Amino acid sequence: MHPWAWWAWALGVAAAVSMTTNPLLLALIALGLIAVILLRRTDAPWARSVAAYFVLAGVIIGIRLFFQVLLGGSVGGTVILTLPEIRLPAWAAGIRLGGAVTAEGLAWAVYDALRLSVMLLCLGAANSLANPRQALRSVPAALYEASVAVVIALSVAPQLVESTQRVRRARRLRGGTSSGLGTVTAVVIPVLADAIDRSLRLAAGMEARGFGRSRTGQGTSAALTAMLAAAALAATVGVFLLLGAPEFTAAGAGMLLAGILGTVLGLRRSGRALGVTRYRPQPWTGRDTLLAVCGATAAAAPALATASGRPALFDAFNPSVNPLVWPTLHGVMIPVVAMVLAPLAVTSPPGASSRRVS
Amino acid sequence: MIRFDDVSLTYAGASGPALAGVTFTIEEGDLAVVVGRTGTGKSTLLGAINGHVPHFTGGVMAGEVTVAGRSTRTHRPRDLADVVGWVGQDPLAGFVTDTVEDEIAYGMEQLGTAPAAMRKRVEETLDLMGIADLRARPLADLSGGQQQRVAIAAVLAAQPRVVVLDEPTSALDPTAAQDVLSAITTLVHEVGLTVVLAEHRLERVLHQADTLVWLPSGRRDAIVGPPAEILLDCDVRPPLAQLATALGWHAVPASVRDARRRAQRERITVTAPTDAPISRGPVRARVSDLRVAYGSTVAVNSVSLDLHGGEVTCLMGRNGAGKSSLLWAMQGATASTGGVEIDGTDPRPLSAARARALVSLVPQTAADLLYLPSVGAELAQADRESSRPTGTTATLLSRLGADLPVDADPRDLSEGQRLGLVLAIQLAAGPGVLALDEPTRGLDYAMKDRLAQILADLAAQGRSIVVSTHDVEFAAAATQRTIVMADGDVIADGPTREVCTSSPVFAPQAAKVFAPTPVLVASELFTVAP
Amino acid sequence: MTRVLDPLPRTTLDSGAVSAAAVSMRARVMLVLTAVVGLIAFAWPLFFTPGSAVDPLQAPLLFALVLPLVLAVVVSELTGNGMDVKGLALLGVLSAVGAVLRPIGTGTAGMEPIFFLLILGGRAFGPGFGFAQGAITMFASALLTAGVGPWLPYQMVAAGFVGLGGGFLPRARGRVELALLAAWGLVSAFVYGWLMDFAFWPFGIGPSTQFSFDPHADIAANLHTFVLYNLATSMGWNLGRALTTVALIVLLAPGLLHVLRRAARRAAFAPR
Repeated sequence: MHPWAWWAWALGVAAAVSMTTNPLLLALIALGLIAVILLRRTDAPWARSVAAYFVLAGVIIGIRLFFQVLLGGSVGGTVILTLPEIRLPAWAAGIRLGGAVTAEGLAWAVYDALRLSVMLLCLGAANSLANPRQALRSVPAALYEASVAVVIALSVAPQLVESTQRVRRARRLRGGTSSGLGTVTAVVIPVLADAIDRSLRLAAGMEARGFGRSRTGQGTSAALTAMLAAAALAATVGVFLLLGAPEFTAAGAGMLLAGILGTVLGLRRSGRALGVTRYRPQPWTGRDTLLAVCGATAAAAPALATASGRPALFDAFNPSVNPLVWPTLHGVMIPVVAMVLAPLAVTSPPGASSRRVS
Repeated sequence: MIRFDDVSLTYAGASGPALAGVTFTIEEGDLAVVVGRTGTGKSTLLGAINGHVPHFTGGVMAGEVTVAGRSTRTHRPRDLADVVGWVGQDPLAGFVTDTVEDEIAYGMEQLGTAPAAMRKRVEETLDLMGIADLRARPLADLSGGQQQRVAIAAVLAAQPRVVVLDEPTSALDPTAAQDVLSAITTLVHEVGLTVVLAEHRLERVLHQADTLVWLPSGRRDAIVGPPAEILLDCDVRPPLAQLATALGWHAVPASVRDARRRAQRERITVTAPTDAPISRGPVRARVSDLRVAYGSTVAVNSVSLDLHGGEVTCLMGRNGAGKSSLLWAMQGATASTGGVEIDGTDPRPLSAARARALVSLVPQTAADLLYLPSVGAELAQADRESSRPTGTTATLLSRLGADLPVDADPRDLSEGQRLGLVLAIQLAAGPGVLALDEPTRGLDYAMKDRLAQILADLAAQGRSIVVSTHDVEFAAAATQRTIVMADGDVIADGPTREVCTSSPVFAPQAAKVFAPTPVLVASELFTVAP
Repeated sequence: MTRVLDPLPRTTLDSGAVSAAAVSMRARVMLVLTAVVGLIAFAWPLFFTPGSAVDPLQAPLLFALVLPLVLAVVVSELTGNGMDVKGLALLGVLSAVGAVLRPIGTGTAGMEPIFFLLILGGRAFGPGFGFAQGAITMFASALLTAGVGPWLPYQMVAAGFVGLGGGFLPRARGRVELALLAAWGLVSAFVYGWLMDFAFWPFGIGPSTQFSFDPHADIAANLHTFVLYNLATSMGWNLGRALTTVALIVLLAPGLLHVLRRAARRAAFAPR
C-alpha cells in the first residue's frame, strides 16, 4: 500500500477519535486498530515501534489520573475518597493539593486520557504500517533536496553507530577509560570528523553521478515565493480565526483551505523544473484511494452527528460525566468502527503482495 | 577518448602546483593505470578527468581536459555523469541510498532516464556485474568486495564510456580484490569501456594494463607509455620490476607467466636462499586456548600461540577470519576467555594505561585514536598519558623518520604520516609487544619498505611484533614467521618462507616465478649466480 | 600531435560555486514568516476563545496541518535554492549524528544531547544551515524511531530556531565565543521547553485539574497557572536539558568548531 494512504486512513481515524469521549467506542476503535496493526504490519524496523506507543498511552492515562487525584478541580459530585488537603499560598493561585476525589472528576479524566491514548495509537498505527522510505520517495519535487538530506541521514545513521562503537573500543588503546567526561571529546571528535569527511566524499560521488543536473533554471521566481509566503500566512490566519474568533468561523475555515491549496499548488509549481525520474515508483492505486476514503468516512460520522444538532447523537459521542451516566453505543458508531477495520478488507496481508519491503 | 592538453593545477592556499604541464591521450577501450608515489597527484589527475578537479575541490587550472569531446572547462562533473563514471576508494561512503537496486538506479534517476528504460538497465547491470542475487540486500550488510562491485554497477548503469576508479581495492582482501579487478577487466574486454585506475599494489593489475600514466615524484608532469617500458625507470617498483632489475632484463614482464617463461627460456636457475638461523628471543606473549565470541558468532576459536622477542610475525587470512579479534583480545580491549600472558602478566584485568605499557595496538583505522586539533597537541597528550618526559613522543616520531609539522591537523596528514604518528604515540608507552592491524593500507612500495625497516629495528630492540596484513609481498619482505587463520582457527604457522611458498594464495610473485625454489623477494636473487 | 594550442584562459574556481552559509533575502523573509507562524502555533492557548468551532484539544492538530506547509516552504527555499550538493551532504550527515545522539537522551531526565550540535552547526555554517539542520535532524530522528506525530512539526520549527540562533550570534572568538554559545544553549533549552509545554499544555494534563488550561480565564490567569504547572512538572526536564546543553558546549565546542570549520574550509563554504 502507498504510505500516504496509510497516513490518510490513520489521520481520519484520529480525527474521529478527537471528536468523541465515549469510552466504549474508544475501546472498540483501539481494539480495531490493534487488529489492523497486528495483521498488516511487516517485520521492518519501523513496524516494531508500536509497542512504544502502547507504553506511552498507558503512561498518559497514569499521569492524567495521578494529577486528577492530586489536583482535581473542586467540581462537586460523588466523593469516593478524601485525601489530606494542603493549600498552597496565594502566589501559587491558591492551589489545593489532595482533598476530595470525585467519581465525576475521575471519569472525565479517564475519558479524556483514553481519547488521547487512542489518538496516539492511530499515530502508532500509521508509523508502523507506512514505509517511511517510500513516503520520502513521493514528496513533491520542491522538497527533493530536503528529502535527499533526510535519505542521507537515514542511511548514514547506522554507520555512525558502528563508528562510535569502534572509536569507543579504541579508547583503551591509548590508555583512556570508556566512560567519563574526557571520553566524550575523545569519542565525539573522531566520529564527527570522520562523518564530515565522509559527507564530502558522498557529495563528490553524488555530483559525479549527476546530482543537480536536471535542476534547471534559477530556482523559483520571486512572484512564486511571494505567493507561497502569502498562502502560508493565509492558512495561519485561518487557524487563528478558527480558534480565537468564533464570529469568523466561516472566514477562518475559508482562509485555511485557501492557504493549504495555495501552498500545495505553489510547491508543485516550484518543483516543476526538476527532471529527476523515479525508479520503480510506488503507484497510487484505486485501493489506496479506497483506504484514504475509509479514513475520511470515519471522521465524517462523528462530525456529521455533532453538526446535526440532535442532542441524542451528541450525547452518544460525548457521554455526560456530570451527572455521571453509563455510556452507551449508538447505531451511528457502526460506520466508525467499520472504517477502522476496513484496511483488513481493503489491503492484503504483508508477504502476499509482490512489492519488496524496503 | 581522454585528452590532457598542458594541464596544470594549483590548489587554493598550496605553495606549488599539484600538476604542471601534463599532456597525454588515452585511446578508447584502453585500461590505463595511473602510478606514482604517494602525494604525486594521482587523485588530482583522476579527478580532473570528470571535472571533480577543479569544479568541486577548488583551485586554479590551466590547460584543458577533454573527455569524449567535452571539455571539463565548460562541463561540471554532473554534466559529464553520462560519459564518465567515477568510483572512489571507500564505496560505503559514496552510497546515497541503502539497498543495492536503489543505488544502481540512483544515477539514472538523476539523469532523468525513463522508468521503463531504467528498469531494464538495472537488470542488465545486475547481471553484468554478477550481483543479481544481492538486489534487495541492504548495502551496509554486504562485504567490502560486494560493496565495491555494487559501486561499479551503480556508475555503469548510467552507461558511461569512461570509468575512473581511485584505488578501488585498497580496502579489500586478496580474493575480494581479485573479484573486483576481474569485474573491471570484464568492462574493458566485454563492454569496450575505457578504464582509468589508480592502484597502489600494481602487481594486481599490471598484466591487464594497456597504458601506464606515471607521475614521477619531484616533477609535476606525467610520463605515458606501455607498461613494460615505463616500469624500467619508474620509481614505483612492483615485484616483477624488481625481479627484472635483479636479472638485468630490459623489459618488465607483464605477468608471472611471462616472467616464468622467460626465466625458463633463459635457463635461469636459482638456488634456494637460506635464512640465517633465527635468533629468537624469549617468549614475550603467550596466548593459550583463547576464544573471542560476539553473541553467537565465534571470531577466535581456542587459539594457542607463543610470540617471541626479536621476531616480526605476520597474521594472514581472509576478512573475518579472526585476525583483528585475536590482536584486540591480546591487548585486552576485546573481551575473551582463555589465557593471555604478556611478559608473564595478563593485560585484560589491568587498567588501560598499564595494559598498553605491556602490549600496544595500532588499529586498522589509526585515525580513531586521534582527537586533538594538531600534531603537537597529540604528541604532548601522548607524553602525558604515557607518563614520559615532554618530547619523548616527538623524538620517537622523528626516529621513525617522520618529521611532521607540529601545527598540522592530524586529519590532513597522508595515510603514511598518520600511521607514523599513531605508531609513535603507541610506542611512547614502551610496550614489549607491538601489534599492528592492517598497517599497509594506502602505503606505496617505498613506504612499505620503510615500514618493514622500522619494524625490523623495533624487533631488534627485543620487542615482539605482530602484524596482520593481506599484503603477501609485504609479509614476504618484512616478517620471519607467518600465521594463517581461517574461520577463527590457526591453520598454518611456521617460518614465512615455508608458509608463503607452499600455497599459491599466499605466495609472493617472486616465489611464483621460481617455484618450487622458495624465493620470497627479488633482492634475494643478487646472491644467485645465473 | 603537435597542435599549437590557443592560449586558454585560466579557470579559477576558488570555491564550490554556491555557498551554504549565505541566506538569501527571500530565505530571510521565509524565516521571519516561519517565526511568526511558529509563535502563533506555540502560543495558541493565549488567544483561544471559548465557543469557537474548534475544541481546545484539536487546536494543536490544526497547527500540525499548517506548520508542515510553512516548513515545506522554508526548507524548500533553504535547501533548493541556497545549498549545493556539499551543503546537502553535510546537512544529511550532521542530521544523522543528531538522530543517533537523540535516543541516548530519552529516558534520562531531560538529557537533550542534540542542541549543542544544532547550535554549533548554525555557528559554523550560518543561520540558514542551522535552521535546516534543526528541522531535518528532528524529522530524521522521528523517522528512525517511528515517532511521527502532531508534535513533530512543532519540534522541527523549535529546533530550527535553536540552530538559527547559533548562526546569528555576534562574531567572537575564543572564550567570548564559548560564553556566547553556552548562553544561547541555556536560553534556547529553556525557551524550547516552555514553548513545547505551552503548545501541548491541554494535552499534558487534561482539561479538569487546577493546573489545566481554562479557555474561559483571561491571559494573565492562564499564564499564571501555566507557570505553576511548568514549575511543578517540567522544571526538572528543562533544567536538565539546559545543563546538558551548556556542559556539552563547554566540553566539545572548541574541538567541534575546529572540525566543522575545517569542513567549511574544505567544502569552500564561507566560514563564519
